[in-house]
Order: sequence, then C-alpha cells, then structure tokens
Amino acid sequence: MATRVITVDRSLKPGIWPLVLGHWETLKNLVRTLILRQASTIEFPEKRRNVSGRYRGIHILTAREDGTPKCVACFMCATVCPAECIYIESGERPEKTIEKYPTRFEIDLLRCVYCGFCVDACPEEAILMSRENDLVGTTREELIIDRDRLMARAKLLDVGTGYHPSEHDVRRPVRIAAIEKLKQERGIGNSRPPRG
Amino acid sequence: MPKLTIDGREIEVAAGTTVIRAAQQLGIDIPHFCWHPDLSVDGNCRMCVVEIEKQAKLQISCNTAATEGLVVHTDTPRVRAARRSTLEFLLVNHPIDCPVCDQAGECYLQDQYQAYTLHDARTELEEKVHKRKLVDLGPILLDAERCVLCSRCLRFESEVVGTSTLMFANRGNRTEIATFQNRPITHSYAGNLADVCPVGALLSHDFRFKMRVWFLASTPSICPGCSTGCNVYVDQRDGEIYRLRPRRNPEVNKSWLCDPGRAQYKQIGSPERVAVARTRRGAEWSAVPLAAALDVLAAHIKGAGRALAILGTPQATNEDLRALSTLADTTGARLDFRVGDPELKVRELEDGILQRADKNPNTQGALDLGIARSGVDEIIAACRRGEVAVLLLQGPELLRLPAAGVFLEKVPFVAVMATHNEPALERAHLILPAAAWAEIDGTFTNYQRRVQRILRAVPAPGEARPRWDLVGELLRRLGAPLAATSARELFGEVVRAVPEYAGLDYRVLGESGRVAISVGANGHSPLPQV
Ligand code: SF4
Ligand code: SF4
Ligand code: SF4
Ligand code: SF4
Repeated sequence: MATRVITVDRSLKPGIWPLVLGHWETLKNLVRTLILRQASTIEFPEKRRNVSGRYRGIHILTAREDGTPKCVACFMCATVCPAECIYIESGERPEKTIEKYPTRFEIDLLRCVYCGFCVDACPEEAILMSRENDLVGTTREELIIDRDRLMARAKLLDVGTGYHPSEHDVRRPVRIAAIEKLKQERGIGNSRPPRG
Repeated sequence: MPKLTIDGREIEVAAGTTVIRAAQQLGIDIPHFCWHPDLSVDGNCRMCVVEIEKQAKLQISCNTAATEGLVVHTDTPRVRAARRSTLEFLLVNHPIDCPVCDQAGECYLQDQYQAYTLHDARTELEEKVHKRKLVDLGPILLDAERCVLCSRCLRFESEVVGTSTLMFANRGNRTEIATFQNRPITHSYAGNLADVCPVGALLSHDFRFKMRVWFLASTPSICPGCSTGCNVYVDQRDGEIYRLRPRRNPEVNKSWLCDPGRAQYKQIGSPERVAVARTRRGAEWSAVPLAAALDVLAAHIKGAGRALAILGTPQATNEDLRALSTLADTTGARLDFRVGDPELKVRELEDGILQRADKNPNTQGALDLGIARSGVDEIIAACRRGEVAVLLLQGPELLRLPAAGVFLEKVPFVAVMATHNEPALERAHLILPAAAWAEIDGTFTNYQRRVQRILRAVPAPGEARPRWDLVGELLRRLGAPLAATSARELFGEVVRAVPEYAGLDYRVLGESGRVAISVGANGHSPLPQV
C-alpha cells in the first residue's frame, strides 16, 4: 500500500479567531442551560431517563408463587454467556416435579456485557433483565450479585422490567428460520416416510 | 473372511462380525440405543436399521452378519425416514425434562433427535403416559419416564455382574424398569448402569447435579485402585475432578469400572492433601519451603553414607520408581518396596469381574524394575539394629505398620513423600508433598504386565511435585543429577533397564497400553514372576 505524506506548515499562526469562537460557543451554552433551561443532561439519580421496555439492564431472577426461584439450574444461561460471568451450583428440590434448583447463582456484573443471551437461552423465563443501569459499588465483590439479591430485584418496580422473552420478540422468527435451515442441512424432511 | 461394501467402501472382516461392527471399523457410526459393544445383541430399538441391496426390508445392522458380497447403505432417505419414525415413537411419552436431567449433553436421544428429527411433538404433555420418577435405587437414581426400554441395564446385570436386580414391569406403553420392591442395587458395579443407560433413566447419585457434562474436559488415564489398571477418563473442570468414566479397553476392563475405583477421584481434591513440606522438631511440626526441605534431606543423606535405606511404593509410577532406584544406586542404599508382600496378590481376582486383591496399581512395575532388593524385613531389622541413619520413604506404607513406632526409634531421620495427611506421618521427621496420580504423567504396569500411561489431568496442590521430580532434586543436590528431565525421558530409562519393555515409548503405548514382551532364556535373567 502506498503511503500518502501530508506536510503541515507549522509556521502559520492561528491568530485570535479560534479563541473568540471558542468563547462564543461557551457563552451560547451558558445562556441555553442557565437562562433558557434547555440542558441535555438530567439530574441523575433524582431524575432518570425513560428507557425502552427492551432495555438490557441488571438481571432479575424470577420467583415461583411460593417465593422459591423459578430457575431449575439447567446452566443454559451459563453455557451461552459469552462473558462466562454466571456461576451456578445446583441442588435437589423437595418437589419431585421440579427436582433441581440453584443453591448458588451469581452474576459478575463487571464482566457481563449485557448482551441478553442468558434471557434468550433460559427455558423457564427464570432470568430477565431490568431497566436498572446504575451500577455502583466500592469493591469488586459487591458487584458479583448473588441469588438473593438477583431475586429481590424483582420487587424493584420503579425501574421496571427490561429485556424479557415475549411473543413479539424480534428474534423469534430468526430462531425458527435457523431450525428450518438446520433441518435442510441435515436432510430432515417434514413429510411422512416414503413407502419402500 | 467375508468382504462387503458399506456406503461404497469395501472392507474385509472376520467371519461372524456384524454389520454395525464392520461399519465401525470403517469409521461409520450407525446410530443405536440397545446395542452395546460389550453386551449381547438384543435388537429391540430398531434405530440401527440399514438398507441392504437385494433385501426388500430394512435390516437391523446390530444383528445382521457381515457376509460375502453384502452391499450396505447406512444413510439413505428410507433409512432416515425409518429412524425418524423410531425416534418419534420413542419420544411419544418422553417427559422432555432435559433442563434438569444430568444425561443432557451425552444423551443418545438428544443427539439423535438433533441429527434425525428436530420435530415438534404431536402429543401434548398432559396426554403422555406418566411413570415413576426419582426412584432411589441406592447408588443409582431411576427415572422410568426417560427410559427407552433398550434393556442394556438388564443385560449388563445378568451378563457382567450376574445379579439381575432389574426387570421390566407392566405391559405395552406402561412398561417400565423396576427392581423388586424398589430394593436398592447392592453390587459394586452399579456406576456402570448409569453409563450403559443411553438416556437419563439411570443416573449416578454421586454425580447428580454436580456439573453439566459439556463443561467437563476428559483426560485419558488409569484407575489407581488396584492391579487391574482399568482405563478411565478423568473428567475435570477448572482443575476440579467431577467423575471418572470408564474408557473402553477390550483387553483390560471392556467398558466397565468398579464403584470403589470410580470413587478414586475423591482423594484428589481432598482437604487432607499434603501441599507443603513440613519438618518436625520434637513434637512440633512446621511448614518449610520445599527447596529448604530438600536441602535438609540432601544434607542428611550425604551424612548417612551407606547407612541410608529407601523404600519405594507400588502406588508410584514406573518413572518414580526408576528415579528412586537411581538414587539407591548412586548412594549404595538398601532398597525395597514390599510392605506386606503385595506382589503375592497382584494377579488374584477378588470377585471374578474386575477387582483384584492387590490394591496397588503398579506392583508389577516395581517388580520389573527390580525395586525388590534388600527385603523389607531386612530393612526393618537394620533399623532395629540402629544401622539406618536416614530412611527415605516413597509412600507412607511402612509408617502405618503397628510396629513402626518401635523399630523407627533408632532411626534418627525419617523422610516420607506423601499425598495425604494421616496420623502415621507423625512418625516421620520430614514430609515432602507428592503429586497424586491424576496430577502427573507416567506409566503403571498392570497385572497382565500391560504398561499403560497416566496423564496429568489437573494441577497438583501447593508445592506438591511428582515423586520422580523430588528424587531428581535430591540427586541434583547430591551432585549426580538425573539425565532425564521429564517423565517421558525417564520412561526411556525404564525401557533400557527392563528388557521386557524393549521397543516401548509413550507414543507406542498410545491410549490403550502395551503388554510387555516376555524375554526368553537368551541372555536375560527372567524377572520375578508371581
Ligand atoms: S447478559 Fe450476556 S454477558 Fe451478561 S450474563 Fe447474560 S449472557 Fe452473560
Ligand atoms: S437458563 Fe434459566 S433455568 Fe437455566 S440456569 Fe439459567 S436462569 Fe436457571
Ligand atoms: S433404564 Fe436405561 S438402560 Fe435400562 S432399559 Fe431403560 S433406557 Fe435402557
Ligand atoms: S477393578 Fe481395580 S482398576 Fe478397575 S476400577 Fe476397580 S479398583 Fe480401579
């Protein structure tokens, strides 16, 4: 690849104009925010922005009616997670119909990339995302949030649910098409077996 | 020898070979549930059907003999359609609880559903026939809903263990696996039931809910539980071992493991592991850096001259033992290993299946390497006479003898390489941390004189090192370093030392090991045979 060389003449003096223009800009903003009240910033955290219902904020673990986690510790989320930030330990539930649940469920929010794949992978709608996005802590450990904190977050009604599975999910047709493509690749037909 | 064609490729097989095995020899895997390489043929699942030219109907490849001139097609539209129907049929009453099923990831149903059907169920969950779930059969947990009625477990019980605890109960689509009055399985080969079951109907209690299988990485190795030397996979994640699985070796363990052998992994992550070197002054133990501990030991050995006695252990690899005998040769020390004469039992079968009376994996290797020299009784007697200034133990066996407290009184310095803490170690003056079998490379020689490799699956705790490496460090301090710097190179020395091992190296041993050749009367003295 040829390299293009640009020569800059450093001997030119810019004069006073850049300074004047810079001050003019500052002055305009001062008038806009202080006098006309047209600031584009808000007074966080007292005021919050209204984010979309599909916003991918900090996770929520949903609960069953009896308050136990809906999660069955299938590890689908931990498997799909590209940041490998979900840690699960599983145990036996007393009910014979459900069998399994997480005795530990931790998400390292500092590693999470908020992709929402965990929500997509979950077969139980046990993991959702909220609209909460202010992640504050004074230690790293604080931001590895455990099962109880993830579940308590379901009560945070003021932030609201963010990304969660729904039939309006834009990824649904994509997934169905992917399965059809797989079937084609593997020579799987939908028809009845031919008579031989 | 019949010659046949499978998927356009010709192969000649031994008379009596079945089509499914002939295909496997060509590397063609025919899907199946009920067929198992080490069990009799039952032919009930109809999954392994293939199309054979000039035969009107599809044939089950597991029970069709490979005969001259057969032309077999394993993957035609007709075959795929038949497999699709079979699978759909098998899944009619399946509870679809893969999210909580431990078999997920290594389940034949899942794999074959992915490969052949990907269908949506035509039965609603409510319409399905429900069967018993979570039936506790001792070491095994039964979920009758997931069973595909392949009868592998029944055949395993009657053909391998000879117990026939399991049976099919009821009829038609209510047929299910059961034991009489839900009695638990009591034989010591129960773990194999979870392995032979192609689905999640029989699961191991020990592994239950511990880890999803796709997170596990497998390292081929050898069970250290007895002189049979069953081939295993060590399944670990992030340095933690979750289970041992049988690795098929038709010459040694077929596809089986005993339950005590399967539990061997538990010692590895045990909190009782020796991770640092420790020295004793009076009754006071203190941790010391490994290098310092080796310095102290080397100084004692130098001071002792020929008043050194060394005891090997049949728990150690051939490489460890070779390093130890080099040390004995260098120092002129007394050397032996037979605490309690384990070599007498090396071939003694305990239960007619796999387990042997000698609970050491490498007694034969120690015999082959000529570690049995001075006699343990003679070494003990020398200790009593006060002729031993330094006693170096490769394992703690001698310390466990009830009389050890008495005969060690006159030995001023006892050093032991240990993997686990135990009260007997208190009798030593220096404890060196040794890496355990799953943490090292090396070889064991089993009762058949098959030399088999073990591979490092997980890192050793703390400062623990392979025993040969500890001895290598000592030799370096004594000014006669080992020529070999790895287990692989040490095995080269083992081969030079043992004529029967001629021609072997790690590559030749491969994954299933080699039986040492027997050397005739031409020059070599016959090795101690049992
Ligand atoms: S949002 Fe993405 S990165 Fe974060 S936990 Fe879920 S899968 Fe992992
Ligand atoms: S995918 Fe859902 S059910 Fe499975 S472990 Fe994750 S949160 Fe739990
Ligand atoms: S329990 Fe497992 S091995 Fe036994 S018949 Fe059922 S599927 Fe086959
Ligand atoms: S028979 Fe011996 S070698 Fe085989 S699994 Fe059992 S203890 Fe291990």
